[in-house]
Amino acid sequence: MSDLAPIQPSPDAVLSCTGVRRSFPVGDRRLAILHGINLELCAGERLALMGTSGAGKTTLLNILGLLDRPTEGSVTVAGMDAWALSARRRANLRNEKIGFVFQFYHLLPELSALENAVLPAMIKLSRGAYRSGRSAFMDRATDMLTRFGLADRLGHRPSQLSGGEQQRIAIARALLLDPPILIADEPTGNLDRATGERVLEILLDEQSERGVALMLVTHDERLAKRCERVLYMEDGLIQADSSAPMPT
Amino acid sequence: MFRTFLSLRYLRARKTNWIGMAGILVAVGALVLILSIMAGFLEESRRTLRGNLADLVIQPSFQSSVLQENGDWIPMQTDVERMLEIIREDPGVAAATPQLQWYGIFAPDGGETALEKPMQDAIQLIELVGIDVEGEGEATDFRESLETEYGKKPGLGKFCNVGRPASVEDPFRNLTERRDVVRSRTRPKVPILVGEQLAYLWGLRRGQEVSLVTATYDEGSSQLNETAANARFQVVGSFRSKDNETDSRRIYIDRRALADFLQRDRLWSAVLVKLNDYKRDKDAVRARLWSKLHAEGFLSAPGIRTNEFRTWEDFRAMLLAAIQNEKALMGIMLSLVLVVAGFTVFALLSMMVTEKRRDIGILCALGATPRGVLALFLMIGLWEAVIGSAFGALVGVLGAYNIDAIERKLSSTFGFQIFNRDIYLFDYIPAEVSFSGVAWIVSGAVFSTLLFAAIPAWRASRLDPVEALRHE
Repeated sequence: MSDLAPIQPSPDAVLSCTGVRRSFPVGDRRLAILHGINLELCAGERLALMGTSGAGKTTLLNILGLLDRPTEGSVTVAGMDAWALSARRRANLRNEKIGFVFQFYHLLPELSALENAVLPAMIKLSRGAYRSGRSAFMDRATDMLTRFGLADRLGHRPSQLSGGEQQRIAIARALLLDPPILIADEPTGNLDRATGERVLEILLDEQSERGVALMLVTHDERLAKRCERVLYMEDGLIQADSSAPMPT
Repeated sequence: MFRTFLSLRYLRARKTNWIGMAGILVAVGALVLILSIMAGFLEESRRTLRGNLADLVIQPSFQSSVLQENGDWIPMQTDVERMLEIIREDPGVAAATPQLQWYGIFAPDGGETALEKPMQDAIQLIELVGIDVEGEGEATDFRESLETEYGKKPGLGKFCNVGRPASVEDPFRNLTERRDVVRSRTRPKVPILVGEQLAYLWGLRRGQEVSLVTATYDEGSSQLNETAANARFQVVGSFRSKDNETDSRRIYIDRRALADFLQRDRLWSAVLVKLNDYKRDKDAVRARLWSKLHAEGFLSAPGIRTNEFRTWEDFRAMLLAAIQNEKALMGIMLSLVLVVAGFTVFALLSMMVTEKRRDIGILCALGATPRGVLALFLMIGLWEAVIGSAFGALVGVLGAYNIDAIERKLSSTFGFQIFNRDIYLFDYIPAEVSFSGVAWIVSGAVFSTLLFAAIPAWRASRLDPVEALRHE
């Protein structure tokens, strides 16, 4: 597949990018990391992004997650050109449409497991709206955490929890507002095999149950095989786009 | 919502934030306490400085004629009864009394000493004040100055050998019995009341005879014909007016006796006026009285701001201004403590922004706007300012109300006197809390802290979320 030729996003795409380039200033010149990426992610699709270190996977993920602005090209989220929006509306888009799961969990150390899980709702709602909907969000987060086997860990701080437990909280946090897109950057990369398997099961189960589009960055071939599509990146370009067998 | 929740959580979880709060607490507390004490000193000093001065003192210049506003000259009036009548008619006036003021030389060893050895320390310039006891008591604190309890307060009082007069109602009652006068065939000496410090400095005793020497002149003559007057008086009591200067040079005499001594026809030189409400009415009454008295020829100056017409504050203007100035300077200097507290908040928040870079990245990834992040860190500064200022104000106010007890406790604990009561004319530490002043201090503390918090908060809002998420 050619990355250079811009594509017209399909109506099913919840996330797409067209002609995305990204370069960074290094001294007097600019170092190009992405060389024109075209990509689309449809609702309920499970996509793995693989590639060698320095291929540009994380940069692409940051751009698709609206955390980084492309030097060139556009990113469309739920039909909206994200970088044409104001910073406030873009932040709202990120809050409502995209859930993040990071390799290092990224929980706030001062908050309990439950508080970390409801943080997106706190950010989304004004004080009055949050107060009125607080119990609903709390119940929702509690249900999720209970399903993830963390019923007795709700009041624990991240420092009192294992890596697997922290990652399950991060998954609950990413899914709290029912976003149509889930971006996971090596979600099992920091976990031992058995724990990683458990976390992955939860992530994939939730994804298929909710029909969320999942974009997964991974180095794990076994994990990639459980995705419908696998993209291979190298030197800032998508070199291959292959379908993988459906998970058994 | 997350701003309030997270800012309070960060505040509670990070003990270093309490340092900033403690800094603000100390700064606000110190400012409230010191300014309350300074206000107390100012108010107490005003009472002290006032001494036996009346609210208004009218001292006509006694020129021959007065220029009216229409350009006519009219003869200057000297009928004090008419003048008192005009003054007492004013609704703002509570009392008015005439006074005869003159200057003389005090010579306990005799008038000869005063005239023969003027350069030696055997004489002192004194202020002779002729009064009507009844009227003086109504228009000034004269009676209170006679009723002061001697010997209780450490300081000069206990050394005074004169003491209060035999009768406060009739303080000029002569100590010499009538039969003694008849037996000795001498005229009774004119009784005088001396200032407490004057009595102390000269070692005067009750009943002691002293000489007063003065020079008078003939008012009716076109030439200044000076005449020396020398007479013996008897000390019948002393007074303490709180004002040291007054107490060290003033002598009270019956007004008619003084006029007699001076061999003058005119029995007055000033009229003292007490107002019903000095603070509220002083300017209005002053303007009304000046207008009436000037129109009738009692005052010659073409305006109320003259030496003919003065409030007690005009007499003490320099001293009052000096104390007020000290208070303002102290306020400015202590405001710098607030700036230091602001810097502490700035340093702590800057450190926090650096430490919390990853958290900022996480919040951005979860949908927080840069403005939201700015507000989050500003709110941390706001909580520190509000909580620190509130407790600081409380500590300051409680400290001000109990400063005297606190000082006594500290003095007895550490074994040395922090506030030396002998230096001042009040034997406690005065403090006056102005709640509007406290509100200003708290507002200033909150404003300056927010100003200092704005810089790190702005830095936090400008962080690149990708960079922030990479932060370890």
